[in-house]
Amino acid sequence: MYNFIRLSRKIVSCIIHQTPGVSQDTALRKRQCYRAMVMMVRRCSQSATPDLPNCNVGTIGHVDHGKTTLTAAITRVLQKTGQSSFVSYDQIDKAPEEKKRGITINTAHISYSSTLRHYAHTDCPGHADYIKNMISGASQMDGAILVVAANDGQMPQTREHLLLTRQIGVKKLVVYINKADLVDEDVLELVELEVRELLDHFGFDEDSTPFITGSALLALQGDQSPYGEPSVLRLVAAMDDYLETPSRCLDSPFLLPIDNYFNVPGRGSVVTGTLVQGVVRKGDNAELLGYDKQLKAVASSLQVFKKNVSRVEAGENVGILLRGIRMEILERGMVLCAFGSQNLINRFEATMYLMTKAEGGRSRPITSAYIQQLFCQTWNVACRIDLSKGAKMMMPGDHETVEVTLLEKMVLLPSQSFTVRENNVTIATGIITKILPTISIPQKRFEKVDFDSL
Amino acid sequence: MSTLLLRYFCSQRSPRMTKQLLHTSSLVCAVEKELLARLRKQTGFSIGNCKKALEMHQNDIAKAEVWLQAEAQSKGWEKATKLSGRQTSQGLIGIHIEGKTAAMVEVNCETDFVARNDKFRQLVTQAAKECWKGNTLNEDVILAKESFSTEQVKTITTEDGKTLGDVLALAIGNIGENMGLPRATRVSAGHDISLVGYCHPSTIDQDANTGKFGAILAVKTSNSISEVAKQLCVHVIGMNPRAIGSLDDPKAENPEEESLLIHQEFLSDPTRTVAQVLDDEKMEVIDFIRFGSTAVNSSRVSTK
Repeated sequence: MYNFIRLSRKIVSCIIHQTPGVSQDTALRKRQCYRAMVMMVRRCSQSATPDLPNCNVGTIGHVDHGKTTLTAAITRVLQKTGQSSFVSYDQIDKAPEEKKRGITINTAHISYSSTLRHYAHTDCPGHADYIKNMISGASQMDGAILVVAANDGQMPQTREHLLLTRQIGVKKLVVYINKADLVDEDVLELVELEVRELLDHFGFDEDSTPFITGSALLALQGDQSPYGEPSVLRLVAAMDDYLETPSRCLDSPFLLPIDNYFNVPGRGSVVTGTLVQGVVRKGDNAELLGYDKQLKAVASSLQVFKKNVSRVEAGENVGILLRGIRMEILERGMVLCAFGSQNLINRFEATMYLMTKAEGGRSRPITSAYIQQLFCQTWNVACRIDLSKGAKMMMPGDHETVEVTLLEKMVLLPSQSFTVRENNVTIATGIITKILPTISIPQKRFEKVDFDSL
Repeated sequence: MSTLLLRYFCSQRSPRMTKQLLHTSSLVCAVEKELLARLRKQTGFSIGNCKKALEMHQNDIAKAEVWLQAEAQSKGWEKATKLSGRQTSQGLIGIHIEGKTAAMVEVNCETDFVARNDKFRQLVTQAAKECWKGNTLNEDVILAKESFSTEQVKTITTEDGKTLGDVLALAIGNIGENMGLPRATRVSAGHDISLVGYCHPSTIDQDANTGKFGAILAVKTSNSISEVAKQLCVHVIGMNPRAIGSLDDPKAENPEEESLLIHQEFLSDPTRTVAQVLDDEKMEVIDFIRFGSTAVNSSRVSTK
């Protein structure tokens, strides 16, 4: 897209230079013409904006400190350059409940772009909503905007806000000191000092975290003083500069969850799927893992859309011929990965949400040693769920840290999400937070394991 | 006069000008930043109020603090009135059991962020305790149950002569969210009856006395209160029985939908029914009270 903009700039300047009678305000007209073209391009590609990397952010802060006003102000200010469309305060505030993976979440999703990135912005009223958002995989937050009103300073619950951002894996945040027009500079300094101290307490980088002072209300009203619209532009610039987006993992060892497989008589088996990370080259040493099985293999030939290729990148749908591998040992849900890059695992820690009756889940709680079928990607395996030590039960509507043990060893990665089903009904959704040491399960029976000693 | 002038200039929203003025004007009313920071750390009141206090008392931090504390109550009521229309759909249940009396209260707030905060938990604990204090023990009755409406809870007086309504208003002023005290209950037991309470969720290190759910159980047992009695409390929260029932009552066709306590499968050991457990433990359930935070029971509405 950038190339296209550059190209259009050239075209515009050509048109202007070749049109007679435009000499005095050429520059101005050039700018107008260029902007119109940029907007046209943007509008065409607004649905996807494929070239801008996506960054998921969210606003957190006390109910009266102006989160929603700030969000509305961002969309209003960026609308001027065609990088967003205005979403009013009421639209954000009264966003209807959403259902994702069957879970009801109170959330508003707003989208806008800076010149460098596309932002997917989440605004939720409660702690539980952010957790559900994370678990359902809707939007893993890459960064957060903490909103603090200057006339109040941080509130007792600001601690809970920061704790949440840590919990859902946010490593960096930017701080917007709102309502700065209501106080003088000394107070602003004090608010900043206090918030920095608190950031340090929760393990954020207190020195490098950017602080932007402004007034979301002024910005929303189109005010041009430093606390008005420019403060929002400063905020977006700070987000561009400081927040990090997850890098595309071409450098990681390759990983292919197997969707399907078939036999090629006399040659071996072909496995197909979408490469989730890394790069595969013809002849690479690979390993087949899953369902307690571990086999060495070689990617003898690669096909993308029925064409032979020598190299495949993450994101592509690929078929890989594995010479000498018999079809009988393959199973949907196994993983083909770079040799030695992954391990088979049967225990992990997760954050899990137990759905309420209204969401189609259980009406009754679960206790430790709850055994059901776990579904993940393309596979399902029997699992046992244990609550954290001392927890007596988990009520529908609760989200808790749990320990999950699989009956068969699989390839699992942190931040992979899963669901638990009971009688063909989804009753829980979770996300893997930590891999735990694998245990042996004699005779494939959970009751043979002494879980209390783990 | 100089105060007026400064106020006037401050209201002009010109940071540079204000700063100059602060430095040139006499120290009469310029608030020193360090003092402001110190006062705020000591009291936890909002920056705006701390600043006002220092301005009014010519930077005398001791006087300012006295004023702030005195003013906090009326400021709290002011804020409470201002926020009173806002919905409180989150909250916690608090239980206090001591001797033969147990009290359980519900306190609501706007967001679950606040419900997770220590200050709010302390408020809930205090409310339960104050509610417990008003008990009038009568050894002759088997079990005395009192229920309080929101108006009644708010008029319960605390040790220092305030009402729970005052305490709540103070918290509203401090935390800045609307809060409510929708209901409370108090149970006093006769001499051969014991009271057990449980709040969910609890962690291993402490049996929390606040949680999203709470249950109080009155049991008759010859032995001392066992772990099973606690588990029964957990059971009452989890399985939400409608009534205790007796062995003569018919069972529900589907055990999943059983609403009588004694016919329900015991949560901690589904191979036995509650009736069997009670029999094994030589225990009798006299009564139970279960509170679920209204936030969990009612359908959720936007918290603003």
